[in-house]
Amino acid sequence: MKKIIRLAIFSILLLSFCFSIFAQDDLNPESPVPVLLNDADKTRVLAVSSNRWAGELPTTGQTVFKPGFKTVITIFATNFDFSEGESVNSVRVYLKQRSGKVYQLPVEDLVRIDKKNYALKVRLFESPNLRTQPGADGDSLIYLTWRGLSSNVLKIGLGSTGGDLKIPAEFRATPENTNDFAGYRWSGDRIRFLEQAGFGPNTELDNRIRRVGLRIWLNEQFETPYPYYPYPNIPLMQTTPPANCDATTFPACYRERYTQLPLQQWFFKEAMYGNTQLRHRVSWALSQILVTSGITIQQSSHMIAYHKVISDNAFGNYRNLLKQMTLNPAMGSYLDMVRSTKTNPNENYPREILQLFSIGLFKLNQDGTVQTDGQGNPVPTYTQENINNFSKVFTGWTFCETTVVCPNRTQGATNYKDPMLINPLNHDLTEKTLLSYPNAVNTTIPACQNCTTNEAIAAYANDSLDKAIENIFNHPNVAPFIGKLLIQHLVTSDPSPAYVARVSAAFNNNGSNVRGDMKAVIRAILLDPEARGNVKTAPRYGKLREPVQLITNLTRIFPAKSFNGEDLSDGSLGNYTKRLGQNPFYSDTVFNYFPPTYIVPGTTILAPEFGLLNTGTAINRTNLLYLLIFEGLTPTATDSLKGTSLDFSEMIPYAENDPDGNQLLDVLNYKMMHGAMTAEHKNSILTAVLAVPASNPLLRVKTAVYLIAASSQYQVQR
Amino acid sequence: MKHSRRDFLVKSTTALTMTALATQAEHFGLMTAFAQKSRQKTDPGAGSDYRALVCIYLSGGNDANNMIVPNHSDANVSNYAAYSAARAPQGLALAQNVLLPISVPRIGNLSYGLHPGFGTITGGTNNGIHELWAQGKLAGVTNVGTLVQPLTRQQYLNNSAPRPMQLFSHTDQTQQHLTCRADGVSLTGWGGRISDKITNSANPQRLIPTTSTIGGPLLFNVGENTQPVSVGPAPTPLSSVLSLVGFNNTPISNARFAALNEALSFETQQELVAASSEYHRAAIDISTALNNTADVTVTFPNTELGNQLKQIARLIKNRDVLNMKRQIFFCTLDGFDSHTSQPGTHNILFGRLSQAMRSFYEEMLVQGLSDKVTQFTLSDFNRTFNPSGVGASVGTDHAWSSHSLILGGSVIGGDFYGVNTSNGTPFTTLVMNGPDDSDSGSGARGRWIPTTAVEQYAATLAKWFGLETADMNYVFPNLPNFTQTDLGFMMP
Repeated sequence: MKKIIRLAIFSILLLSFCFSIFAQDDLNPESPVPVLLNDADKTRVLAVSSNRWAGELPTTGQTVFKPGFKTVITIFATNFDFSEGESVNSVRVYLKQRSGKVYQLPVEDLVRIDKKNYALKVRLFESPNLRTQPGADGDSLIYLTWRGLSSNVLKIGLGSTGGDLKIPAEFRATPENTNDFAGYRWSGDRIRFLEQAGFGPNTELDNRIRRVGLRIWLNEQFETPYPYYPYPNIPLMQTTPPANCDATTFPACYRERYTQLPLQQWFFKEAMYGNTQLRHRVSWALSQILVTSGITIQQSSHMIAYHKVISDNAFGNYRNLLKQMTLNPAMGSYLDMVRSTKTNPNENYPREILQLFSIGLFKLNQDGTVQTDGQGNPVPTYTQENINNFSKVFTGWTFCETTVVCPNRTQGATNYKDPMLINPLNHDLTEKTLLSYPNAVNTTIPACQNCTTNEAIAAYANDSLDKAIENIFNHPNVAPFIGKLLIQHLVTSDPSPAYVARVSAAFNNNGSNVRGDMKAVIRAILLDPEARGNVKTAPRYGKLREPVQLITNLTRIFPAKSFNGEDLSDGSLGNYTKRLGQNPFYSDTVFNYFPPTYIVPGTTILAPEFGLLNTGTAINRTNLLYLLIFEGLTPTATDSLKGTSLDFSEMIPYAENDPDGNQLLDVLNYKMMHGAMTAEHKNSILTAVLAVPASNPLLRVKTAVYLIAASSQYQVQR
Repeated sequence: MKHSRRDFLVKSTTALTMTALATQAEHFGLMTAFAQKSRQKTDPGAGSDYRALVCIYLSGGNDANNMIVPNHSDANVSNYAAYSAARAPQGLALAQNVLLPISVPRIGNLSYGLHPGFGTITGGTNNGIHELWAQGKLAGVTNVGTLVQPLTRQQYLNNSAPRPMQLFSHTDQTQQHLTCRADGVSLTGWGGRISDKITNSANPQRLIPTTSTIGGPLLFNVGENTQPVSVGPAPTPLSSVLSLVGFNNTPISNARFAALNEALSFETQQELVAASSEYHRAAIDISTALNNTADVTVTFPNTELGNQLKQIARLIKNRDVLNMKRQIFFCTLDGFDSHTSQPGTHNILFGRLSQAMRSFYEEMLVQGLSDKVTQFTLSDFNRTFNPSGVGASVGTDHAWSSHSLILGGSVIGGDFYGVNTSNGTPFTTLVMNGPDDSDSGSGARGRWIPTTAVEQYAATLAKWFGLETADMNYVFPNLPNFTQTDLGFMMP
């Protein structure tokens, strides 16, 4: 009976979903706020020792527990709306002690005990490899998060009760109600979506999504031709700059061809003005996963060819991206595959394609959590022996310099535009043992049998390469590894395992039994309930805006102009974001500008973009915002011809019409903070705005925009 | 008064006015600029008891096999011929006549050689550090690397004793050098943990944190209760390296500054917001402390590393104003991941390393602190003894045990230090598939197994620095796994 009802509900949902497409509307993105049940003492969590729990909702619980690896307690919660398959790994439980330290407690089981209540089995201990555990420190705070939302906060006694800990009223103060201004449904979620799916919201896109909804907009983006501005067409140059392109005599020529400046300018213009936001944003994320760098790659034409491989495949299949990236000459040069021969195989590319581009160091569950052995140690995915074998597979490729098959070959210059080509003389012909995993594809490549001619060897080499890519691509780690990285780049730094698992499932099967379909992965990431909603309240939700996003978001909300305001910006912004630690296409190493595993020092918070934040860059961020907002970025004699400034004209009327400043703050709250600014934050900014005479509305606007942009409340994209 | 950095977060749940900010006790391991003004009694003895550690991180994995090379013919320990046989065919061996000779008393005064980049170089600002070996200021710790416990080749090959996690991986091996935890992930570095133990006595005013990072990752300088300050390198003066632009003391400007500060106390229950706000707040506070600072006298090379060490020398010069008795610094020289084209790269990088270290040493002489400040190197790992590629593009791949350099007036220089290897000396046996190689079989490439652990090297420095014996295990939890906890290269 239950099944039938469920089926009926599902059908109705499905129908309404179909209708909603026709009706050009989306499902309500909001998830219910989870509630942690309290004991007779309303400030205290209802909790019992798990080995004494009888399987029902107890009337009273135990007050004091001993923290430690062996202590497992059961707590109770309600008000979830789990979707099918959503279970224990969608919920996280946190403990905050008087010291201020926050511990993430492993949730071992989630059991439905009646119509609406659930029991959670929790260990009073933090993941062992973080080496910290809560102390017997008296009353501590306990709360859970689900889909980016925080529950209520309750006390739990560790060792004893007591202590001066106060329960915060809410983890996030109630946002100021901006419905009067916004007026339409889920306006906050639209802005949040545009921060995740592009380089920032603008009025035009906001209106478009309001009209067609998220799903249709995604489909539109999948089909929109890219790029909006053509890639700069730059010829391949000889390695030593010729006399007519010398750095000192002809600096403009040199900058255009021998530095990444034209790519950076194109990149920023496409981000600020382009209409193919999604592909540009996903490509930017992928270029931070499959990294090359202008520190080694000499010419802009080389890096542009690399970027084309990424953007061509951003909505394609990840397998093809891996293959084409393996044969891309910039990557081949950056990670040395182009110099790897059977007598001197180079380990660089084989190591990084495994560690960084596909499977990572440790075996993962499909929800992205690390598999451990009997001693609790992570299980490695590959050995040095594997590296040696992949090294042999990747031997013999070189720059494409044959007239027949290399259309972009240029006399006197190295061909970085066409894919690398096999030189049969340098390819290893022995047997290779590849990755082994359940249902593994191509675990060995046999030695070459009939390799008597160059043609036979070339065929063997190309076939071996395909086999090796298949072997890597089909490893079960690829879905959670790449899926989690993309979530981190687009939505949130520390996604719940359940979120990762949903994205993994889309990677493993797009619904039509295709593995690696990037469109399915992108849809899964951006439409997930953990991504969607007007306001997220979980204390670790979101991500610090990386320097590029910090700037592009502002240049889209307040349309970027040239310094004198009469033209468009020239996109020369790399030299500015460089001061914040991110010079686009000049990553220090193959490990990107910041590592995906970065933990904020002094905490256990996983937050990759914080790898760029320290006292020095914090000041640089605030100072760059001052320059951009108040003064504009001046053109320079060298790399910037027009400079960049922000156009605040759309905001001026709000400042003019309301001398009390409320209208201005409301519209900025909506556009910059998706309506989530707290009342105290708004009042604080308002005081500074009102210190500026009403007769100077532009300065009022700039003051307000600066104070919002410089605040951590804005700099964390939530 | 001991507070953790996180105390600050708990206390600041309510909105703070500018005045309230001033009474906020401590955060980031430092006093607010306001609080410190009320206790500006500088300890007159601060300058006489001063010590500093300067970590120079060679990022990317330095091929130490070409940094220190056998320069002798004694066949009982690996000699030049053994070195040359393995590296000359591919064009990676340094010619014996370009090696800068160093005599090693520990190995019967046999001659070894430093890479020529450590001597005088074209366009250099000084003579480099090679000549400081003979003067007894420069020493080497050899065959040192990440270990959980002593590990024989037999144990490694049959996997019967714990190995460091993820050998040969940049990120993991870097972290293990910075944390001295080869047995897993640690969220604190050994510089930061030393600071945890000495800050109360050595930096009581906390005008700036005990640890400073000028370049590279923060991890080394992060402790349980320690957060480093990050200041950019020279040529930016210390006085402006953390200063905000756009404030001119008008009422409008002051109102804007007040609101900028107030926001740092909002939504602190949101952990990402709070973490970001803390960096901003610390930067604003520390900039006050660095307002009036004196410059150095010696000329530093205008390189990435030269400018970092110059900024460190400026911070040291202002130690009395900042009232600091102990400081730990971290800086980085990038570019050592030489899978290809290593000879040219190494010439440049070793030249820059040597020139910058020498200028810094000279500046310490001028400041009268040469025996109070010690420079030392760390790197991700050594590289394969067997090269990859040939000719101009010759390079090396990721390996393990390496050599490090230590320079300063308190170094008992002119010698090798460390636990003996298979050949009865502290220097590696340079034989592929030999007794020190973790690789085996015909394809072995020479990835040496360390005989000395990073923590033995680090503990020697920490002891000189003044870390109490009782605190050693807090800073180096795996140190009890090793017999020798002082390698003897520092004067007492």
